[in-house]
Amino acid sequence: MSTVDPPTWTGKLRERLVAALPPEKLLPDRQPSYMASWIYVFGVLTLGSLVLIIGSGTILALKGPGWWHVTGIGHFFNSVHLWAVELFFFFMVIHLWGKYWMAAWRGGRARVWMTGVVTFLVAIPCALTGYVSQQNFDAQWISTQAKDAMNSMGIGSFFNLMNFGQMYSYHVFLLPLAVVGLVTAHVLLVRRHGIVPPFRLDAVGPVKPSGDQPGAGDQPEPT
Amino acid sequence: MVGAIFNLNHPAHMVHWHFIDLSVSNVIVIVLMLVVFAVAILAPFPRHGEGER
Repeated sequence: MSTVDPPTWTGKLRERLVAALPPEKLLPDRQPSYMASWIYVFGVLTLGSLVLIIGSGTILALKGPGWWHVTGIGHFFNSVHLWAVELFFFFMVIHLWGKYWMAAWRGGRARVWMTGVVTFLVAIPCALTGYVSQQNFDAQWISTQAKDAMNSMGIGSFFNLMNFGQMYSYHVFLLPLAVVGLVTAHVLLVRRHGIVPPFRLDAVGPVKPSGDQPGAGDQPEPT
Repeated sequence: MVGAIFNLNHPAHMVHWHFIDLSVSNVIVIVLMLVVFAVAILAPFPRHGEGER
């Protein structure tokens, strides 16, 4: 990296991006030894499920919301979409439990934790709007029941579950865009700050009257 | 076209415990998540041989 500040905004932006995420941090080929545990695979399993959701959802969106009712291949892709969502939440909840018990917000990783939490919260309405986009009696029943929840919170005029066009737009564009954007930020923040290390065993013991939490902020060298 | 491999044409079976109301299918998924979580922590992770690196 050059020592002289570049004169253009693109150059300045490049310098800042490379400083924040140098290539060896963005695409590392080695990880700390404490990552040798199955609990660390659930983040990437969640990402894999998200890729499957976006892929199958794109095919369903290309053919329209009624396609899956009248063709076998449409039914297949609808089922892939549904079960990918089931796996997405299954893996994401286990990822959440793992990170909660690791206190994964330690060592300046608060933004990593918060983007993960917000992704989880945004993914829920993203999935639920899919139920009202099914174009069947199930969707009608769910939308007529769920509208009362929206109205009781005073947001029924902004988020109208009886408006299929609005719900479909939320389901296939707005909320997936938010989820993908948040997941991208989450992954880049993980790359920047590194995986949270385990609690140091030598710090476990009688509670000290002052000082940092055990293990906070430490980042062992990669092995 | 077969909609499901078993009959779903009935109200969901529910588990009632104090104020908690859960369908049996949701209970099964929650228990399965707990089991997978425990296995993920306890099961040994395959490592490269000592001499490889």
